[in-house]
Amino acid sequence: RVPLTIISGFLGAGKSTLIRRILTERHGYRIAVIMNEFGDTADIEAKTINVTSPDNPAEGSEEFLELANGCLCCSIKDSGVAAIEKLMQRKGAFDYILLETTGLADPGPIASIFWHNEEFSMGAGRDIHLDGVVCVVDAVFGRKASIYLWSADSSDDANGQIASSDVILLNKTDLVPESDLISTEEVLRQVNPAATIHRTVRGQIDLAHIIGIDAFSSRPLPGDSHRQESCQEDHDHSTHPHVDTINHYEIRGISSLQVTCPVLTDTALERLDEWIRTILWENRLVNDDRTTEGLEVLRCKGMFSKNSGERYVLQGVKHLYDIQEVKGSEDMGVPDVGKLVLIGKGLGEVVRRSLERLFVAQVDDIGQ
Amino acid sequence: MSTDTTACQSPQCINGNPASRLECPTCNKLGIKGSLFCGQECFKANWKNHKIIHDLATPRQPLLDDPSINKDGTFIGFPNFKYTGSLRPIYPLSQRRVVPPHIPRPDYADNGTPTSEVRKLGQPPRILSKDEQEKMRTVSRLAREVLDIAASHVRPGITTDYIDEIVHNAIIERNAYPSPLNYREFPKSVCTSVNEVICHGIPDQRKLIEGDIINIDVTLYYDGYHGDLNETYPVGRVDDDAKKVMRAARHSLDESIKICKPGALFRDLGKVIEPIARASGCAVVRQYTGHGINDLFHCSPNIPHYAKNKAVGTMKAGMCFTIEPMINLGTNWDLDHWPDKWTAVTIDGKPSAQFEETLLITDTGVEVLTAGKVREDLL
Repeated sequence: RVPLTIISGFLGAGKSTLIRRILTERHGYRIAVIMNEFGDTADIEAKTINVTSPDNPAEGSEEFLELANGCLCCSIKDSGVAAIEKLMQRKGAFDYILLETTGLADPGPIASIFWHNEEFSMGAGRDIHLDGVVCVVDAVFGRKASIYLWSADSSDDANGQIASSDVILLNKTDLVPESDLISTEEVLRQVNPAATIHRTVRGQIDLAHIIGIDAFSSRPLPGDSHRQESCQEDHDHSTHPHVDTINHYEIRGISSLQVTCPVLTDTALERLDEWIRTILWENRLVNDDRTTEGLEVLRCKGMFSKNSGERYVLQGVKHLYDIQEVKGSEDMGVPDVGKLVLIGKGLGEVVRRSLERLFVAQVDDIGQ
Repeated sequence: MSTDTTACQSPQCINGNPASRLECPTCNKLGIKGSLFCGQECFKANWKNHKIIHDLATPRQPLLDDPSINKDGTFIGFPNFKYTGSLRPIYPLSQRRVVPPHIPRPDYADNGTPTSEVRKLGQPPRILSKDEQEKMRTVSRLAREVLDIAASHVRPGITTDYIDEIVHNAIIERNAYPSPLNYREFPKSVCTSVNEVICHGIPDQRKLIEGDIINIDVTLYYDGYHGDLNETYPVGRVDDDAKKVMRAARHSLDESIKICKPGALFRDLGKVIEPIARASGCAVVRQYTGHGINDLFHCSPNIPHYAKNKAVGTMKAGMCFTIEPMINLGTNWDLDHWPDKWTAVTIDGKPSAQFEETLLITDTGVEVLTAGKVREDLL
């Protein structure tokens, strides 16, 4: 499989520096770097990508992607993705693909396209596998960002970057005082508690943290629960109330919701699936008729256990989601409480209570 | 001809292109003047380049002398393409068929681009009003009539172009527009997919032979709405593999229709279709899907026919869409496209069958708008 990492971030945050570092350090690998314009492939006539040669990452060749015309109607395979695959067919598989999004682009829809494309994988060495979304954030602008970068008038795209990321690189930390860094991280964690945050200087980071992270897999992410615990220990609770209950922080209306899930019965899991697909596909709550203004889930992740022992992992980006059983999980011991993380807009108390009502209903089921 | 002062015509003349008098005899016969060479060696050395002039100048009768054109005037389109099976496009395609001006046309009829569809990208499936649902019933019924007429003509010896002519005429007789015509520049009024062609075959000059299977996909546009259906038919007697793949396609479609009702999930249709295909040793094509259909030919939702998909959407009363599983014999679901940019073929050349209906979700279940008679030959 060929892992694909989406690298997003505003202009000047340090994406190019990061990419150059990856190419240099992964000397000897064939890496394709694509400047994004995906999601709109119908309009593109000719697209080129840069492919590094294994021997000298500084040199590269430009390759042309052959894009089919729009006449392949009813074909749901994205033509841009098909073009990359065709290129690999002609010239051999890449070791990595890095897709750099343009400054304001929302990586969510792009991630959806590649994740969806995995439904066409042949099980051969050339299948593109969505590895994860990395966002480079400029620490210098940090909290000021809420004023500067994310202004009141809407361009949705910018916010999707934090919300849709699996890894956030808080870059240029050498230029910023510690207290500012802590508060910026706080804001980022509130918006996206599911992402791992790393502090970096000039994009320097152990590549194992950003490539090969398998963020869209159906394997449970032990790192998540670990992070939650360490988060509890590191904070000085006197300075700010803990993240679990109230989201003070939003970046332009984007916030997150974390809910603990009890061990589920079969019926409860079905109802949970119904709850999730209703909010993701129709932007409403299945058990609450009040119109929830501006409700939109951008990313969701979760882990649940059934009373029969199986564990399930939820992955979702935009409208696409998947709840998959973790293979071999029945032997993992006593079923554990689960967790659901939603990132998006309009995720207020109404949403939390709607979900909690689902779980209460389950207790009633068992009681019968 | 004044020859004495003409230099040797060979670009590689070893004698420095002196004045020459030896004339090429073929050029002489053809009446080409000035082909002079200084000597035999020069002439022979340059022969390969020189004889190109003879080819250019020879008056040709294309049908008699061009080896790649058959004696009846047909030829293989894209002769250098690596075809996956034995089927070839037999050109030339017939002239573009005319739709009388009094018949209302969809937006793409003139420039090829379905702008109305592009505008609606990303939107959820539309709920049709009662009036619109009635129009869908009408156009779907007409589409079924036309398909049945076309099917009655299927026999060895007729070309797929002939079927196109029948379909085109039957549609305009009903004052409707043949939806495929000029849709994203598709050149014909119906899709005819033979044997290893999965879908979107372009009608051409190839004659059907006994043993072929042919899918005829009819869509027409009437009173502002589209109706879409297709069936795969045997040409004369066909072998067991052909019967197997046709049965698998028909059966999987019929079973998937049974689960359609308000509240059912589009992603569950594949769960019904794929096991049926697998049980017959067949594979489900992944890249082409069923689609929403109403005043737009193709719109949301996308309906994959394979299991384990992430299709978005729940069925609701008033939604119209198609289910159209493409089933390949064997285990390969992958496909390739011919250079005509339309014809989709199996990667191993094995046959593929398909069936399609246009459906309307009612308050309690589903109505098959394009329903026709049961296919006795597939039972």
